[in-house]
Amino acid sequence: MLNAAKKLLGAFCLSLCALTIAPTIANAHGEKALEPFIRMRTIQWYDVQWSQDKLTVNDELVITGKFHVAEDWPRGVPKPDATYLNVSSPGPVFIRVERYLNGQASVSSTALKLGGDYDFKIVMKARMPGRYHLHPFFNLHDAGSVMGPGHWFEVEGDSAAFANQVKTLNGEMVEMETYGLANGVAWHAFWIALGAAWLLWWVQRPMFIPRYRMLQLGQGDALITPLDRLLGVAILLGVPLVVLGAQSMTDRAYPNVIPLQAAMDQIEPLSPAVNVGIVRVKIQRADYLVPARAMTLQAQVENNSDQPVRIGEFATANVRFLNLAAGLPTSDDAGGVIAKEGLSVDAPDPIQPGETRVVRITAADSLWQRERLDGLIRDADSRLGGLLFLYDPSSKRHIASVSTAVIPKFD
Amino acid sequence: MAIKALEAPSQPYTGEKARLTRAYDYLILVLALFLFIGAFHLHVALTVGDWDFWQDWKDRQWWPLVTPLMMITFPAAVQAVLWTNFRLPLGATLCMSCLLIGTWVTRIFAYHLWNYFPINAVLPATMLPSALVLDAVLMLSNSVTVTSIFGGMAFALLFYPSNWPIFGMFHVPVEYGATQLTLADLFGFQYIRAGTPEYLRLIERGTLRTYGQYATPLSAFCSALLCSLMYPLWWYLGKAFATTKFVKNI
Repeated sequence: MLNAAKKLLGAFCLSLCALTIAPTIANAHGEKALEPFIRMRTIQWYDVQWSQDKLTVNDELVITGKFHVAEDWPRGVPKPDATYLNVSSPGPVFIRVERYLNGQASVSSTALKLGGDYDFKIVMKARMPGRYHLHPFFNLHDAGSVMGPGHWFEVEGDSAAFANQVKTLNGEMVEMETYGLANGVAWHAFWIALGAAWLLWWVQRPMFIPRYRMLQLGQGDALITPLDRLLGVAILLGVPLVVLGAQSMTDRAYPNVIPLQAAMDQIEPLSPAVNVGIVRVKIQRADYLVPARAMTLQAQVENNSDQPVRIGEFATANVRFLNLAAGLPTSDDAGGVIAKEGLSVDAPDPIQPGETRVVRITAADSLWQRERLDGLIRDADSRLGGLLFLYDPSSKRHIASVSTAVIPKFD
Repeated sequence: MAIKALEAPSQPYTGEKARLTRAYDYLILVLALFLFIGAFHLHVALTVGDWDFWQDWKDRQWWPLVTPLMMITFPAAVQAVLWTNFRLPLGATLCMSCLLIGTWVTRIFAYHLWNYFPINAVLPATMLPSALVLDAVLMLSNSVTVTSIFGGMAFALLFYPSNWPIFGMFHVPVEYGATQLTLADLFGFQYIRAGTPEYLRLIERGTLRTYGQYATPLSAFCSALLCSLMYPLWWYLGKAFATTKFVKNI
C-alpha cells in the first residue's frame, strides 16, 4: 500500500516536472471546437484580407472581408438577434480602433438578418510586441464563437511606446492607458489605510483566547473600551461625511458625465451578393465517404445569366476546396485552409446560358478530418452548408449559399 | 474621562500563558488572512464577477444592486463568529481588506501582466467604507437586528457614492464611431475581450424607467433592503458553521 502511494506520488511529481519544465505553446484558440453544423451554417466568411502581417507597436492593421448569414440557420442555434463582430487574440495585444459593418461605423452589438450579406472592416493598432494568431469572428448570443479565417502577425517594438489618446467631448485629450489610474489607486490606498488602521487597532491587543475566556467569565463589556466606542462613533459619522464630500467634489469636477451606453447598432444588409438568383444552385443530395474523406454534392445548377459558368470553389467553415485544375480564379481570400485541388466536377464543361444541369461536385481532402468537419455526420443536426463559387469567362463571380442533409458512407 | 478612555482592556493571562495565546493569535490571523483572501475573492469573482472586473460593466442599475448584496455575505458570517465569541468588531473590515488584497493581486498579475489589460480598465470597486461602518454599527449596538437594518442599509447605500470618486471620471463622454460613448464603454470596445462580447453586459436593463434618470438611488435602496435581509441570513450561517462539532466527528 505504502509502495503504491509512493509510486503514485512519484508519478505525480514527474508529471508536474514534465509540465513545468517543457511547457508547450498553445497555438490555437478553439476555432475547431464549435460543432461543424454551426461553423458551416451560420456566418459564412469569404474574401477576408489583412493589410500587413509585420508591424511595429502603434502600426495599424486593417482586416477586411465579407460574410453571408446562412438562410438555413440551424434550428438549435438562437437566431442572430444579438451578435458582436470580434477579433480573437491573446488579450488586447492589439486594440480595436475602428470597426465598420457595411460601411457604417459600429461600436456595439448588432442583429444580423438571415440571408443577409455584409462586409466589414476592422482597424487594429499593435500594442504588444510578439507573434500572434488573429481571427475575425462573430460572438453569437447563446451559440458561441464562429471563427473567420486566421493569420499570424508579428509585432516588433517596445510596448512602452504605445499610445492611445482620445479626445473627450469636453475637448480634453486623455491617454487611455493611464487615465484615472493614479486617482483610483489613491482612493484605494486611502481606504485601505483606514481599514488597516482599524484592524491594527484591534490586532495590537490580545485577541482570541483571552477575549473568549473573558466572555465566558461574563466580562465581555470590559473588552470594548470607551475609546473603542469613541472611535466607532467617529467612523459612523466621519466615513459617510468623507464619502459624500468626495462624491460631491467628483460631481463638481466632472459635471458632464453620462451613463454607460447600452444601445445596439442598427445595420441593414447590403444588396444581395450571394444567392442573387442569376445562377441558382440547389443541392439534391450530399454523400460523405468516410474512408476517402470526400463529400459528394449532387447539385442542380440553373444558369440564368448570359454567360457560361463553371464551378470554381466550395468554401465551408473556412476550408476552401479549389478547382484549380479548371484554371479558374478563386475567391479573394488571404486566409482559410486551402485544398488546392480538392474540388472536382464530373461534367467540367461550362454550364451554358439558360441551361439547367445536374452535376456531381466532389470536395475531397483530409481537411474534412483535420478541421474536424467530418464530425458533422455524428451531429444532431447533420446538414452541410457552405458557399459555392461559380465563374464566367470574364471571371465574374456568382456565389450560392447551399445546404443539404448529409448521408455518410462508412465503408 | 480621558484616562478612562485610554485604559487598555484587561486580559486574564500573564507571563507564558499570555505569550502563548499571543502566538496563537498570530497563527489564526495568518490562516484567516489566506482563507479569506481565497474564499471571499472566489465568492465575489463568481457572484459579482464581470461587474467588478470591467469598467464598462459598472452601470447605474445592476452594479450598485449586485455588489453590496453579494459582498455583505462573508462580512456578516465572519462578524457572527468574531463578535459573538471574541467581541472583535472587525469582521467586515477584515473580509474587505482580504478581498482587496486578492483582487489587486489578480488585477495586477492576471489581468495586467498576463493578459495585458491596462490596470485602469480593470480597477476594482472598494467596499471598505461600507465595511468600516458595518463594524462600527455592530460594536456600538451589540445587536444583530440593529446591525441588519441600519448597518446593512448603510453598507449598500454607501457603495455607489464611495466608488464614484474612483469611477466617475470614466463616465466622461467621447464621440466615437459616430456615437456617444463613455470612456468606460470605450475600454470595452478597444481592449479586446474575445469571451465577453458587448451584448453580454447586463447593464442598464430592467424596469427602473418610471423614475426618469434616477436609477442609481432606486437601485441603491433596493440593494439596501435586500442587504438588511441578507445580513442576518449570513450571520446565522456563520454562527451555525462556527462550531467544533464537525471536528469531533472526525
